[in-house]
Amino acid sequence: MTSVNRKWYSGMLTQEDWWAVWLGLFFFGLGLLSIAGVDLVGWAVYPKKWVFNVPEGGTGSISHAFYALGSKYSLTAKAFYKGLGWWSIIWTYVIFTIATCIGAYCMKWDLKRYFVGWTIIYFLTIATWFVGHHAFFAANKTNWHKYGLNFALSLGGGASFILALIIGLIIGNFFKGFASYLSEAAKPEWFIKTAIVFLGVKVGYLPIKAAATSAKLGHQMADLTGHLFLAGAVATIVAYMIFWPGVYLIARRIFKLPRKTAAVLGSGISICGVSAAVATGGAVRAKPVVSIMVSALVVVWAVIELVVLPGFFTHVWPGTSDPLVAGSAMGMAVKTDGADAAAGDLLDEFLRNKIEVETNGRVKWPEGVITTSAVMTKVWIDMFIGLWAFVLAMVWVYKIDRRPGETVMASEVWHRFPKFVLGYFTAWFIYLAIFFLNGAGAPEGMHVLKAAKAGAVPVEKGFRKLFFMLTFMSLGIITDFSKLAEAKFGRMVWVYFVALFLFIIPVAVIIAYLFHHGMTIPNIAG
Amino acid sequence: MEMIISHNGRDWVAENESLRVSAPTLELLDIRLTEKMRAGHMVARGQVKKVFMAFNNATIPQWIRQYAQHYFNRIVEVRG
Repeated sequence: MTSVNRKWYSGMLTQEDWWAVWLGLFFFGLGLLSIAGVDLVGWAVYPKKWVFNVPEGGTGSISHAFYALGSKYSLTAKAFYKGLGWWSIIWTYVIFTIATCIGAYCMKWDLKRYFVGWTIIYFLTIATWFVGHHAFFAANKTNWHKYGLNFALSLGGGASFILALIIGLIIGNFFKGFASYLSEAAKPEWFIKTAIVFLGVKVGYLPIKAAATSAKLGHQMADLTGHLFLAGAVATIVAYMIFWPGVYLIARRIFKLPRKTAAVLGSGISICGVSAAVATGGAVRAKPVVSIMVSALVVVWAVIELVVLPGFFTHVWPGTSDPLVAGSAMGMAVKTDGADAAAGDLLDEFLRNKIEVETNGRVKWPEGVITTSAVMTKVWIDMFIGLWAFVLAMVWVYKIDRRPGETVMASEVWHRFPKFVLGYFTAWFIYLAIFFLNGAGAPEGMHVLKAAKAGAVPVEKGFRKLFFMLTFMSLGIITDFSKLAEAKFGRMVWVYFVALFLFIIPVAVIIAYLFHHGMTIPNIAG
Repeated sequence: MEMIISHNGRDWVAENESLRVSAPTLELLDIRLTEKMRAGHMVARGQVKKVFMAFNNATIPQWIRQYAQHYFNRIVEVRG
């Protein structure tokens, strides 16, 4: 099979990156129709906290453990969506099965294997979502009494993420044949890139949501997302300037790795994981096996970071005192989009729960702001990788491995550009435009903003969370820790360990502090 | 002229319908390509021909392609 990027539009129907854009924008477009009074996304399934025995006057009946978001937010079809209840699981399954199977077909995957794998992963994910929302895992101290509990783990939605990852890891490490079969459908990067397009809806919708409390809060939220956008860009540039040379030097001087291997490893550890390792491998004309080995390492280490860092940033430092420093540091430290966005969302759940408990409910942060800070830096990092690889290619081809007659093409920057960010920014800016073009929270425009909300919530909340859950499950399934023990990686494993924990993470925290310290999340507690 | 470039685990391989060259390094690949093109009269003496090599991304394992879908393309000038 041959697959090449010859033209600027190569891969639009055959690459996962583009399919994240098409899937994300299709459902974003369906959501927008709510402004015209048509609700086509209210079927999105969403879980609620539940208990086996509901106390008198309490809440949490199993029969309401899943509901269609339209039953709460739809302006035009609330009654219909109320009737769906648990059936919303099937609606969501059927519609996303059709949508993703079209993508799988266009990408020439084994459609039958994808369909079966997707079905298993989807229902495992739903089952995990259900278990993770048992009040013992999810309820926080301020509402234990509603579920008749005297103690609960207070993990919020983070419990479901952790369970999904654990189940995925069990499959990936103890049922390797099964994991191999599921790998046709276990696509954490496709799922997370689609989720990040949905996150674009979230970022654009945040001011609309805040405006429901007050126009001033809506403006504050719009300002905050703008600041995160700029701070993320600057922090990323600084990080690039420090991370890459630092890791390159560690690999060369301390671990004596060959120049090309050090360059590929330097990008993989310091920039954005697999995509950077592959981009750099191509730029320095390394044999593909170098990028492949580094990629295998990156995927495993990223999951280790995903397990360790959200808890560390929540309970050790910076905690609730600087939540956006924590989010931004996560974006710079955790490699691969999937692990970073997943870690960011886990951090979001942990910190929102923590602040609510610490203040006894007097402070509540809107969901998704911390995730946004984690993803924003990662999106910038992803966008810069094409440019960075282009610079490296120039240095290598024209200076280090000088080969007369070879030319580096500027089109390489585009071929390496992460296309899913186009969907992310489109969704964000269109919802932001809806906010500002309709009075920015002024009473005369609120009816449009309310209609926009009805279509935005199922996408930014229902679809996004579902795709985050699918990402956690898939990450676990494709992560095989035994790869770390394979002797052939040798020094690379140690370079990764030393560079990541003694250099990248501390520097990421310092840079995040410099550019995000003092940014506050608006309080939406009534 | 357009060619597809890939790596078979040992050698770089550049090929199209009329030509196939392989070598362990890109430098040697370019030298062999020049020799073959000269021998096959594909480039006239004194002429400079641009050869566009598009990397076959199928060389990269499928599980990695979800993270990155491009390795590199290159242009090589072959002098006759």
